[in-house]
Amino acid sequence: MIGFLHPWALVGLAAAAIPVLLHLLARREPPTVTFPAVRYLVTTTREHQRRLKLQNILLLVLRTLLIIVLVLAAAGPTLPRSGVTGHAPSALVLVVDNSPSSGVVVAGTARLAQLKAAARRVLARATPDDALWLLAADGVPRRGDPPALRDQVDALTVSSRRMDLGEALGTANAILAAEPRPGEISLLTDLQASAVSPAELRAPLVVGRPDQPPPANVGIARLETGPQPWGADGGRLTVSLAGDTSRATPVSARLGDRPARQALARVGAPAVLALPGAASGWWQANAELDPDELRLDDSRVGVVRVAPVAQVNWDSAGRYAAAACDVLEANRRIARGGEVTLGRLARGSAIVQPPEDPAALGALNRALAARGVAWRFGPPVEGASVTDSGSLVGRVRVLRRHALQPAGSGRTGVLATVAGGAPWLVRSGNVVLLASRLDPAWTDLPVSAGFMPFMDALVNRLARGEVSLAEGAPGDAVVLPDLVTEVRQGERDWRVEGGGVFRPTEPGAYYLVADGDTVGAIAANVDPRESRLAPAPDAQVRRLWNNARVVSLDDAAGLAFGAAARGDLRGPLLWAALLLGLAEVVLASPWRRQAR
Amino acid sequence: MPSTTIPVRPRLDLLDPFEVAKLGGLEVITEGVVEGFLAGIHRSPRRGFSVEFAEHRMYQPGDELRYVDWKILGRHDRLYVKQYEEETNLRAMIVCDASRSMAWTGSPDSVLPKLAYAQRLIAALTLVLLRQRDAAGLITFDDDVRTVLPPRSRLSHWRQLVATLAALEAGQGTAAEPALRRVVDQLRRRGLVVFVSDLLLEREIALKALRFLRHRGHQVLVLHLMDPAEVALGGPAEARFEDPETRAAVVIRPRDWAGAYRETVRTVVHEWRLACRRHGIGYHRVTTDTPFGVVLREALAPSSRSA
Repeated sequence: MIGFLHPWALVGLAAAAIPVLLHLLARREPPTVTFPAVRYLVTTTREHQRRLKLQNILLLVLRTLLIIVLVLAAAGPTLPRSGVTGHAPSALVLVVDNSPSSGVVVAGTARLAQLKAAARRVLARATPDDALWLLAADGVPRRGDPPALRDQVDALTVSSRRMDLGEALGTANAILAAEPRPGEISLLTDLQASAVSPAELRAPLVVGRPDQPPPANVGIARLETGPQPWGADGGRLTVSLAGDTSRATPVSARLGDRPARQALARVGAPAVLALPGAASGWWQANAELDPDELRLDDSRVGVVRVAPVAQVNWDSAGRYAAAACDVLEANRRIARGGEVTLGRLARGSAIVQPPEDPAALGALNRALAARGVAWRFGPPVEGASVTDSGSLVGRVRVLRRHALQPAGSGRTGVLATVAGGAPWLVRSGNVVLLASRLDPAWTDLPVSAGFMPFMDALVNRLARGEVSLAEGAPGDAVVLPDLVTEVRQGERDWRVEGGGVFRPTEPGAYYLVADGDTVGAIAANVDPRESRLAPAPDAQVRRLWNNARVVSLDDAAGLAFGAAARGDLRGPLLWAALLLGLAEVVLASPWRRQAR
Repeated sequence: MPSTTIPVRPRLDLLDPFEVAKLGGLEVITEGVVEGFLAGIHRSPRRGFSVEFAEHRMYQPGDELRYVDWKILGRHDRLYVKQYEEETNLRAMIVCDASRSMAWTGSPDSVLPKLAYAQRLIAALTLVLLRQRDAAGLITFDDDVRTVLPPRSRLSHWRQLVATLAALEAGQGTAAEPALRRVVDQLRRRGLVVFVSDLLLEREIALKALRFLRHRGHQVLVLHLMDPAEVALGGPAEARFEDPETRAAVVIRPRDWAGAYRETVRTVVHEWRLACRRHGIGYHRVTTDTPFGVVLREALAPSSRSA
């Protein structure tokens, strides 16, 4: 389809009407001249009238065509053409998939090196008139001229971020949508099946993928650290594998720099490794596989909190909460004591539910105020709603609740909300407030499967000031709890705002700090989908991506501007205008018209 | 050969007709033209008609050397030329087209209308003929025969001819055939017929009448008068050209048609010339900016007339 570099110039096509208008305007009654030899004129015109009329029509057409051709040339038309050596000024988004899977080594060469070589070949065909963008796994489009982008391609390394190819193509599409030049996308990728997702494309797409099949690969998909905190007697790490082979693979895991434990695991059959107890505190757990062709998924980190179990007083907790505490005590997840009081406001840490008798609400709020708690129970709220689907509570139905109202100092310490964002579980200091009683008449939580983990976390972590343990991949957005003011990783730290979003930059353990205390952690690891290296079939790619051209990496460079190669029609049009002008001059020249 | 000083006088017969016409009335300027013409010609206008030797006279500059009597030169060392005299007088009939188209000129400020040019040309021609003691008559016509002056050889007849010509005004249409046929009544024996017209008429009809005259043994000469603007088409960028006689009109751009028109005129003239030659009729195309003397020379040259 014909595209235009300067489509606004097409407005000038209106000028094509000028010759016709002039012709119509010039058709006035001519002056009368007395001339005796009219019979000669009649003889002359009888013989030549038809030819001259044809000549005049031809002149009119020539002049109109001349204007049209000049206007079209000014608009810079381009036409899709194959096999052209040059190309019209184009917009190209070069997508280089440097996701973790590109780190695989095939036949002694890193896959990313092949992709970068192909990218350099693509850029070698670019001209200074092209608009070029480079889009890599970090998702940031970089615009530049060919030399600048070549430098950036050279600087590309294997990223720990996953690249969803459908999203990347969507970004490329959005870039090209604002570009007047004819655009195209060149995607250089290992075409991992797990990275392929649908995309609506308006620009031509050339997909360059390696010819050699990827090697069989196994990586650690998940490292579970179990219920937190761990007691003094240790805990268990569960290591799950992902990959293209089901062979048994040795796995080693350790806590910090303590001695590693080993076990055999296979895809679909996780290994459970029991680790001995450690001193109280935050520990980084590491699981590793023997090195293979893709190193980035051969290790994974987790975060373990080691602390004595909470000593809980649950006498007034209610029937369901008390039953849960009994079970936790039986499993040595809690012990009886006065460290945490469940159900009422007491000295030390307390988990407070709204009173069954609304008349007691005022006294409770006054006691909260006296304790310096920043939240109050508000009026009862009727009507069913559901909690958010966060890691702490999950998604459970709430039938009754009291509004939780901040007492002047702003909304901080929200741990869970119901739909619409209303606080449902909040903490202020060492007091945790529940908006609903732990009773099936108020919420389905006590009769749900997540009740025991919730109670474990509630008494062992939340009531003791800990917030959360989260997992994510580098680049993924992790929502920070309200209380967090800082994120630390090794020697690095980031000032953050509670309730905001944090994106880990690379794999590792990130600790969440609130008022100087570590209250949670984020374990950032490579997306487990990167371990499955099997490529998507070409047919599937073409179906999902609007008949994209899927070629080998070697051919991608040749087709980069060739697939969307558009011949610049300005030259031929200007030649055509020249020829039309010459024809017009010849046809309209006086000697030519008089010589007949 | 004795040396002779030739006085330098302006010869009206070689001046621009428009300028000549400004010098005086028809009679005056015609006499001037004829005098210039007769003084300039090297050959006797009478030569070629059935002539016999008459007498000798002294050689004058301009006389052709072939008429020098070499015997007298040898005997007496004097230059004499032999003069001849017509055996019989020539009877000439001038037929003048006085249609509306003849009154037209493309450049009123510099070119005589065709009719005015014809008046002066005919006056000069008849004066030459009368001075040779030939008889000359005149017929004028437009869409009908207007005047008929029978041929007379008296010099005083010229005054009558000039008066008729001076009073001649353009009529409407053109009907040459009746006028040409009237010539038969005026020329009982073989004579000369000079047809002066712009030939904007039906060619076949006119040719038929001219052939008829030839058939009657007359020498026929056609003087085809054309205005220079009729030869080369000009005018505004676009114009409606209207025939003053028929009111036929055509709208054209002269610039576009000049070449083709010139070709058409060339063809028309060529066809007239061919047709006339085929029937032994003399033909001359005369543009109205041509000096009278040039036309008279061509018209009176024996080779220009039919045999």
